[in-house]
Amino acid sequence: MQFSRLVAFIVLLSLALAIMPGCSGRSGDPIILTLWHNYGGQLKETMDELIDEFNETVGAREGIIISVTSISGSAAIHEKLTMAANEEPGAPALPDITIAYPKTALLLAEKGLLANLDELFTPVELSAYVPQFLQEGRIKDGALYVFPTAKSTEVLFLNRTIFDRFASETGVSIDDLRTFEGIARVAALYYDWTDAQTPAVKSDGKAFFMSDSLFNYALVGCQQLGADLLKGNTINFSSPEYARVWESYFKPAAMGHAAIYNGYATDLFKTGEIICSTGSTAGIMFFSPTVTYPDNTTEPAEPAILPYPVFEGGKKAAIQRGAGMCIIKSTEEKEKLAAVFLKWFTRPENNLRFVASTGYLPVTVEAYGDIMSRELETISDENIKNLLSACRKMQQEYEFVIPPLFEGIDQLQEKYESSFKGIASSCR
Amino acid sequence: MKEVLSRLKKMAEPARHRFQQAGEEGIPLRLRFFLFLAVLVLTIFLGFIAILLLAGTFTAGLSETERFFENELARISDEISEQYGQLSLQTVELAEKLSRDIEQQSSSMGIFPSQLGEHPYMLEEIIAAECDELLLALQLAKSSGVFFILDATINPALVNAANSKAGLYIKNMEPNVISATSPNIIMLRGFPAISRKKSLPLHAQWQLEFDVSDAPYYHRPMEAARANPGLPLSRLYFWSAALRLPDTSEEIMLCSAPLIDSKGHIFGVCGFEISAMLFKLSHSMDSGSYKHLFCLLSPLAGDTIELEHSFIAGGYAARIASAEVNRLQVSKQRRHLYSYRQDKDHKFLGLHTDIQLYPRDSVFADQRWIVTAMVPEADILVSVTRLNIILFSSLTLLVIIGVIVSFNLGNRLFIKPISQGFNIIKSSDLDAAPKVKVPEIDALIDHLALRNRELAERARQENLSLDTLNRFLEKTRELTPAEREVFKLYGEGLTAKEIAARLYLSINTIKTHSKRIYSKLEVSSREEIILYTTLLREMGKEIN
Repeated sequence: MQFSRLVAFIVLLSLALAIMPGCSGRSGDPIILTLWHNYGGQLKETMDELIDEFNETVGAREGIIISVTSISGSAAIHEKLTMAANEEPGAPALPDITIAYPKTALLLAEKGLLANLDELFTPVELSAYVPQFLQEGRIKDGALYVFPTAKSTEVLFLNRTIFDRFASETGVSIDDLRTFEGIARVAALYYDWTDAQTPAVKSDGKAFFMSDSLFNYALVGCQQLGADLLKGNTINFSSPEYARVWESYFKPAAMGHAAIYNGYATDLFKTGEIICSTGSTAGIMFFSPTVTYPDNTTEPAEPAILPYPVFEGGKKAAIQRGAGMCIIKSTEEKEKLAAVFLKWFTRPENNLRFVASTGYLPVTVEAYGDIMSRELETISDENIKNLLSACRKMQQEYEFVIPPLFEGIDQLQEKYESSFKGIASSCR
Repeated sequence: MKEVLSRLKKMAEPARHRFQQAGEEGIPLRLRFFLFLAVLVLTIFLGFIAILLLAGTFTAGLSETERFFENELARISDEISEQYGQLSLQTVELAEKLSRDIEQQSSSMGIFPSQLGEHPYMLEEIIAAECDELLLALQLAKSSGVFFILDATINPALVNAANSKAGLYIKNMEPNVISATSPNIIMLRGFPAISRKKSLPLHAQWQLEFDVSDAPYYHRPMEAARANPGLPLSRLYFWSAALRLPDTSEEIMLCSAPLIDSKGHIFGVCGFEISAMLFKLSHSMDSGSYKHLFCLLSPLAGDTIELEHSFIAGGYAARIASAEVNRLQVSKQRRHLYSYRQDKDHKFLGLHTDIQLYPRDSVFADQRWIVTAMVPEADILVSVTRLNIILFSSLTLLVIIGVIVSFNLGNRLFIKPISQGFNIIKSSDLDAAPKVKVPEIDALIDHLALRNRELAERARQENLSLDTLNRFLEKTRELTPAEREVFKLYGEGLTAKEIAARLYLSINTIKTHSKRIYSKLEVSSREEIILYTTLLREMGKEIN
């Protein structure tokens, strides 16, 4: 009896020995997680560095390799995700982690393609993040689908070099740009001033100002004046507040004082066609340090970043922007590992490193609060430092508006902007 | 602790006892047989391992890896060859088309294309006219960008005018996505008016003109065309190694061909771009058991691969090019694999093959490009070791099973009949014993039975029946130990005096014992005792 037990034990031990090497492969076979993000251009290097560091440290320990398989603008990522979600021909396979705006994420969540992040993060872990940022990511049935990684708001960008030249000759002041009414007045003066530069050519004045998102302009403008832009899922054009907002932009646009352009204001900054704009803080990285004129001569362009302007008599309010990261539903293991990356990426020290070189805002309470004010002085990039300092001021004084989210918001926004531009162009 | 020790001691007791017994009484047959089998099987096992070693079975994992690399390399190099070959052809076609178009347009403006430098105000119109051609070419090619550069600048009066060249560079930011509705096309270089007209956003690192101060993609094909007049464009196109355009952040490879008018004047270059991301997405590796497998496309200079001039694709996401040492030293290993050494901590093993980017009679045919498939060395070692552990474990398992099976069989067929035979021999009635079906043992039992019968016959002849002898044997068990000692010495033929001397007893004591012995055994003389004892011994019966 004892002998047969011994025999059975030996056989089992030998079998275990033979099978073990095959099973022990997990630790040696890392899981590759694909990632799509929109941190291109100069942001790419910072992102690459962070991803490399993750792969070499936590990733190596936990058996995770983050592999970036797409870097493109948010609009392009939205397009790709939509194609993939609808399984359109030619669409790429969905990655494991992707950057997405809430509107894109909602589409994916509706199709059941996103992992519920409440199941991957503990309440204690989530309590470390700025509550409003988390709230923006709770897009369906109160569940968290968009994880805040780097947020942004809108600020006022100014080509200080040209503005100072203009101001010294016309007597305008940078303080005039605190209100939208002031901007409209300055824009008219700037048009005349630039027109006067070439007396031989009539009516060749330049636009002064542009808003990157006319929809946000109207949304926040109405909020500042104490009204809602939307009534249900449509725009309330009949409110007196909206009329004031419309007037503030339409008139300058129709007169050529504000630009009408189907792209980002930074394109026009590059060629000196405008010198002032409102847009996402992340746009700072797209500002060229020089202005290139049609004859290929260039001039340095020192940017100034100011808090988002306010309508006269209105309350201080600005939009809360910024995409977050979503985890695509796959296996339980992959989802868990993707969450490991997101936790690491948003740790205050890593979040601040990213913020310090990109123009985004940190997402954890710790990073957003004390650390940011403490570390602000250590940031070497002057533009970022100015940007974050403007944001700090806004954080203390402004109310942040979360963009509405419902089916069809995208189309509504697009229609509003194209109609506005169309009407303004036709009036020129 | 003490309790555990005592328990262990208790458990080991039977084994200890068995060994002690083996020491005292010799090794039992069963153990001998087991040891014999174990030695035999172990010898066979060692011999088998030696044969496997000589036959190279333990390096089979390595051979398998080599075959895997060979297959993967053949597949990936075919893919790359096709992609680069296709773009080379499309570059030549684009160069022919643009050369013709620009010449026509220039001549309609009354100049040769080579005179554009003297008429910078014509540049915007000429370049804008080719935008659609470039957009179409980009749509047809699996490329991340298309460009042409003219040997002219918009402002010759500028300080760096000699290195500033007008042209157009359009990029497809998502070359892997087929989207006819909104392809992500943007302008990297060119006139803003063109971008507005075609609704192409400006790239974040847009500039009006190309800076060609360090631009092999511009100078090399033009120099080649100048040095080889009349050579067709298919022999003049040039592939630049991975590079970054000034003030941009993306790594790209460019294929460029010169723009030549019908008079043979060279007035610029055009070509296509492959971005590092497009390369990575186009050439995913079937990593199989090697998650860190990746491939490199690189120009090879001597035995060095410059990582910053290479493209990388595969599961190994860490950008090895960003490490401190930016080159790989190639060296041959003992077997087929090559070693690619970055520094003492980073070594890769793999295979490479030459890739033909140019026709044999191209101006640039001497440039050597290779495609390499490799993994970190440690991964191969782990994989081969794992295979060997499986092989070795399987062999060990086979040996153990072999020993157990052969021992069981041997026990049933060999040890058991022998033990049965011994028991039969020990029994009193050999004639009635069953056969053990081992001829040798059965013959021995038959022989002993015959012998018993003969002895019985002899006893009968000497008036001693077998029963008398058995009775005598029974009676000896009634003797006291002292009497038994005396009886034993009588049986050996000793006299009473000799026994007294041997046992250090007085003769009287011996006599007393003798009397009792005689009485108990019902004999009357020493001779009688000797007779009975001898008969019993001859019958194989022990008197205890």
